Amino acid sequence: MGSKQTVLTHQQLEEYQDCTFFTRKEIMRLFYRYQDLAPQLVPLDYTSCPDVKVPYELIGTMPELKDNPFRQRIAQVFSQDGDGHMTLDNFLDMFSVMSEMAPRDLKAYYAFKIYDFNDDNYICAWDLEQTVTRLTRGELSAEEVSLVCEKVLDEADSDHDGRLSLEDFQSMILRSPDFLRYEHGEGLTLRPWDGNSRGFTGDRGKRPQCFWPQSPQLSEALGDCFFVN
Amino acid sequence: MLSDDQVNEIIIEVESVPSETQSLPSLNQIFLRKSLAKPTFSTVSSVTDIDSVDCQIFRHGIDRRHNQLLRFSSLNESIYPIHRSPGCLSMDTCYPSQETIQGQRLIASLLPMTSRDRIKTIRNQPRTMEEKRKLRKIVDKEKSKQSHGILGATGCAQCLNSLSLAYRRSKSSLSELFNSVSLWQKTLKAIGGKFGTSVLSYFSFLRWLLRFNIFSFVVIFSFIVIPQFTVAEKNTLQFTGLEFLSGAGYFGDTVMYYGFYTNTTIQHGTGASYNMQLAYIFTFGACLVTCFFSLLFSMAKYFRNNFINPHIYSRGITKLVFCWDFTVTHEKAVKLKQKNLSTEIRENLSEILLENARLTFHQQLTRFSAHVAAWLVSTGVAAACSAGVYFLAEYNSEFLKTHRNPGAVLLLPFVVSLINLVVPRFYSMFSLVEKYEMPRHEVYILLIRNILLKISIVGILCYYWLNIVALSGEECWETLIGQDIYRLLLMDFVFSLADSLLGEFLRRLIGMKFITSLGLQEFDIARNVLELIYAQTLTWLGIFFCPLLPFIQMITLFIMFYVKNISLMMNFQPPSKAWRASQMITVFIFLLFFPSFMGVLCTLAITIWRLKPSADCGPFRGLPSFIQSIYSWIDTLSKRSGYLWVVWIYQNLIGSVHFFFILTLIVLIITYLYWQITEGRKIMIRLLHEQIINEGKDKMFLIEKLNKLQDMEKRTNPNAFILETREVEEQNPLHLVEHDASPDLRFRRSVQEVNPRAC
Repeated sequence: MGSKQTVLTHQQLEEYQDCTFFTRKEIMRLFYRYQDLAPQLVPLDYTSCPDVKVPYELIGTMPELKDNPFRQRIAQVFSQDGDGHMTLDNFLDMFSVMSEMAPRDLKAYYAFKIYDFNDDNYICAWDLEQTVTRLTRGELSAEEVSLVCEKVLDEADSDHDGRLSLEDFQSMILRSPDFLRYEHGEGLTLRPWDGNSRGFTGDRGKRPQCFWPQSPQLSEALGDCFFVN
Repeated sequence: MLSDDQVNEIIIEVESVPSETQSLPSLNQIFLRKSLAKPTFSTVSSVTDIDSVDCQIFRHGIDRRHNQLLRFSSLNESIYPIHRSPGCLSMDTCYPSQETIQGQRLIASLLPMTSRDRIKTIRNQPRTMEEKRKLRKIVDKEKSKQSHGILGATGCAQCLNSLSLAYRRSKSSLSELFNSVSLWQKTLKAIGGKFGTSVLSYFSFLRWLLRFNIFSFVVIFSFIVIPQFTVAEKNTLQFTGLEFLSGAGYFGDTVMYYGFYTNTTIQHGTGASYNMQLAYIFTFGACLVTCFFSLLFSMAKYFRNNFINPHIYSRGITKLVFCWDFTVTHEKAVKLKQKNLSTEIRENLSEILLENARLTFHQQLTRFSAHVAAWLVSTGVAAACSAGVYFLAEYNSEFLKTHRNPGAVLLLPFVVSLINLVVPRFYSMFSLVEKYEMPRHEVYILLIRNILLKISIVGILCYYWLNIVALSGEECWETLIGQDIYRLLLMDFVFSLADSLLGEFLRRLIGMKFITSLGLQEFDIARNVLELIYAQTLTWLGIFFCPLLPFIQMITLFIMFYVKNISLMMNFQPPSKAWRASQMITVFIFLLFFPSFMGVLCTLAITIWRLKPSADCGPFRGLPSFIQSIYSWIDTLSKRSGYLWVVWIYQNLIGSVHFFFILTLIVLIITYLYWQITEGRKIMIRLLHEQIINEGKDKMFLIEKLNKLQDMEKRTNPNAFILETREVEEQNPLHLVEHDASPDLRFRRSVQEVNPRAC
């Protein structure tokens, strides 16, 4: 299609298609999402592979990540230098791994990295404390948090070194089929669109405007009407 | 079972690199590891500049990332990750040679794969996009180099490659098209995002049932209804509005019911002839067989995915911590989820703390007697309801024979729907009296009781229809049964609508305005799914007597989806407990298959083989049994020479006992073999688990040893320390410590050698 050629070359699209779980259309839609985050920073013409990074502050405003307790860790894990600023490659990588098509092992690997706050390739007690605090948002007391961490280490640490290695984590994941079941979208999945591919109008040269930005406001409005707290 | 080679390789690696933990290959999955820095693999030719780059990047990345290497076993293409912990080997130098070796191995492994597998492996690599792109480029270059070298097969290989490429692209675009056409995709994602995947499973189940009905309707419509339309007789009855509810009257003489269908062989002019009898029986057979296989395969798929390690029981707190649902994006939903998670964690903690509290004998006795009493009451209620329904049905038919009141036929469906509405809620009240150790048991027991109730009601109705109505000598008993089922289905639909629109709304008003402590209700997934299964059972039962029933069920499901969706958004809050959605779906499909579908098959089998069709109406009029049509067809075929093979198949495969005996024997043998394989694998899992624990102990031991050694070296010779540690690291650490290696290390290794061979 004409519009695709001016944004990404055919070869680039093929590369992305082979390296992620997305089709051409989805890659283009994700590119436009990326561009939308920082229209001044990200050029529309990516054929020359410009070295552009969208800062974490803008990434964190995406509707899928905005309220996620782990958004900072997600951005750090997938970003190039671990600081949360993402290039287009990192962006596509993130959504590819967290898409519904990615296999469990891949998701388990990245989930492990997300929960490993100090990046030492082990989930130690401190990492667990951070995780639990973010999950419960201050509802549990410090005692309860440390008790939870202790119990988790008891249950999952199979080689008894006081911290969870990737193998411990993965074997625990294998035990619970509910986790990372991408078919039902449970666990480590992000959905960058609501399945409405009608939003991609395919107008040549014209960028589709409408497929996501309106929906969170709409669902927010609906939620305010009907979701009584 | 792992082959001996694979197991030996584990052992070899233990001996050579003991300070590294090994992750043992899982039997079904491949573990992948992130490799070190960006350009970690080089082509076979150039090494030097990339090595230096590796070193620099390595030093830069050492604080944050560790050296994780990919080991590749060419034996069975499974990948063993090796993890080098920082404590034992303090990394000042880098190991570019090892990285490039790993990279070369990966490339070497990718080359012989087909392009489809290659792309799949590249996609599954836990590397950044840039690395994957480089990997792909290198492999493509190598592949093209190789293919230039191969004589003769290039043309074929290339065109196969391009074919497979085109096929993949077309498949991906087709799947995208299918997704865009898929019904209700957007709504389902909205529900999932707000209420979580457990509530979503109900709606997905509804959509899945809808597909069944659409398929049945299409098949029946094209093969039975349309031919019937071409020879339809004029309908002489009057149409009043009441027919929509009662199904009788005007509708009794339309394509809706069995009685309308002709038993002749339809022939228009000199075209092909269409035998209505055979068409009727074969169409329904085909429908049911397709449903059967579809259910079987879905059930097998879910079962396989959800019951991997049933013997390892996980307490659940780890799951609570690590199973955050990333698809929940609405802010309020997230906050609510966090609150619920804290509550659940607290409950879990208190369970763990109280777990050791044993109940006294007296308490156990009270609990047991409460359970027994509850079961007696629930079974008694179910039996009483079934008996009531039976007598009501009999009385109703007597009443209808004498009085011609069209509204009275609605009494039975009304009572049945009322029972289905009231009694489950009565069962839920038992939870006030009965106490369970685990809340999960409560849910299952409630489910079982509801299932028993529904089965008994449907069962008693089937008995009534097959034994009373069919043998009563009525003029067109099949149509009567069809009408009964239609009324039941319709009344059930009306009650569900009323429940959703009025009942839940009232509950919300009460919860919000009057008794605010109750709050909003939570969506009761089990009860709603059971209602769906009940309706689908009725549809399948009635399909033979009322061919348009799938169409009605289609419309019903369609409307129910929207009504439930609206009610959900307005009147419910997200569930507070983490539901095991995928296991529940397996249970639902199993329920759909086993009591529901099999029961329908049994009923239909009894109808077709035992009952006598009515004499004046329907495609089988006048025959002594429904199956007689098949017998006479086989007889006519045996007279024609061209179709003797059909007769042979019928007589020797379908009709013969020996064939089924042999088939059963073969199936039993295969089942027994698979069961033994499963048992063997369980043993293997246990042994491997023990091995993991032993590895961990080995690692700790060796780390201590190495630290001690380094301390000693430091103390004796602080200047030469750096050089010597490099030497130590470059050699195999095991050789240095092997002198002091404790005998138990060797013992453990020999035990590992023995163990895998034992199984």
